Amino acid sequence: MTNRKSGLSYKSWRTVQFATVLVFILALILNLPAVNSFVGGAIITSAYTPFEKIRTAVISVAAESDTIRILHESLAGMSDRLAALEEAERENVRLRSVLGFEEPWGYHLLPARVIAVTGEQAPVSAIINRGFKDSLLVNQPVINQIGLVGRIQEVMPGYAKVQLLTDPLNRVAARVASSREMGIIRYLPSEGMILDDFPNQGDIAVGDTVLSSGLGGIYPPGLKIGVVSQVRRPENRPYSRINLQPVVNFRTLEELFILLGEGP
Amino acid sequence: MKRVIPFILYLLLIAAHQVILRDITAVYTANINLTALMVLTVAVYKPELVAAWFGFAAGLVLAAGSPDLLGWHALWLTGLGTVAFHAREKLNLDSLYARLLLVVSGVMVHNLLVLITSFRTVDFWYSLVTAALPGAVYTTLIAWLFFLFKEGHITWAKVRALF
Repeated sequence: MTNRKSGLSYKSWRTVQFATVLVFILALILNLPAVNSFVGGAIITSAYTPFEKIRTAVISVAAESDTIRILHESLAGMSDRLAALEEAERENVRLRSVLGFEEPWGYHLLPARVIAVTGEQAPVSAIINRGFKDSLLVNQPVINQIGLVGRIQEVMPGYAKVQLLTDPLNRVAARVASSREMGIIRYLPSEGMILDDFPNQGDIAVGDTVLSSGLGGIYPPGLKIGVVSQVRRPENRPYSRINLQPVVNFRTLEELFILLGEGP
Repeated sequence: MKRVIPFILYLLLIAAHQVILRDITAVYTANINLTALMVLTVAVYKPELVAAWFGFAAGLVLAAGSPDLLGWHALWLTGLGTVAFHAREKLNLDSLYARLLLVVSGVMVHNLLVLITSFRTVDFWYSLVTAALPGAVYTTLIAWLFFLFKEGHITWAKVRALF
């Protein structure tokens, strides 16, 4: 058997090949700095460097991923803090407006915070963080800095339930601020707040303010309830149908005041 | 030239193993001796001169980071390839277990030679017990899977069927 290129027999060709390998190996074992450094450097550059770059890139991506995760966590924490600060800012604005609010004559105010609101379509009652130990009694009027909110319906040691004006079972004797004519405030889920039992010939117009009249013994007079938004006077009925826009937004109740005292 | 391309790819695989895969595939102190495994596999399936040259090149790639040991590593792997080829010629390696015996002996011998070569920088007996022996076993396990795949005992279809 001969090698096709060299014409040598296989044995000779094998010997030449092994001799070549051994010469290379000997040259490398002699550890000539120039030769070994050149060979090692060439192999590192051609074989190792591409994989080293891949490895570095993967490590770098993993490190970036860790950094991004830390930043995300930090951002989430900052978002929570920002939300808390924004809430504090809103509360600050509300409380500043409350500071200029004066209680009705003969009463003093007990501030309370709403801790829960109940009701299906519209809120009908609110739970506040004041109760029996704060001298609260059933039927004490509850207001906020804008107007009448409702009355204390139930009192527990640490909290109380407020029946809001939006409860269909709640009634308030009311009076039109300008004409002093009277009616009954009710809340109908289908129509909203209305002024009921108001005479068909009564003096009332859209935009008039409606106040509590003080009759009935629960609510003091002069507390704002709503503004007339629609007046209907059916010819075949003795009473008008008057819709009101409540001055209090019952969906955003937060700070309330209970009117303590006997009144004037 | 076309015949050389697979061997260049094998050498690149050795380099990739040294740089990336070695740490990933390590089980405690046991590492796969992929270089020795590939030299032995080439020796089992290819002619003597190919095994010798591949061993030489693999030794260079393996020791590229330590230029003063280039010659020794090239010598060990050239010798390993040549001896493994002659073992294949003299012994009956049809049996899978015979081939695995060749692999475990070859890898163990290579691990020992590498330890001897770098005796100045390692604790020989400690490294023998914690790295060389478990490394040889680990490499043989990989060789076992490789031979099972190569002989069709394990196929992708069978693996997929498991899941």
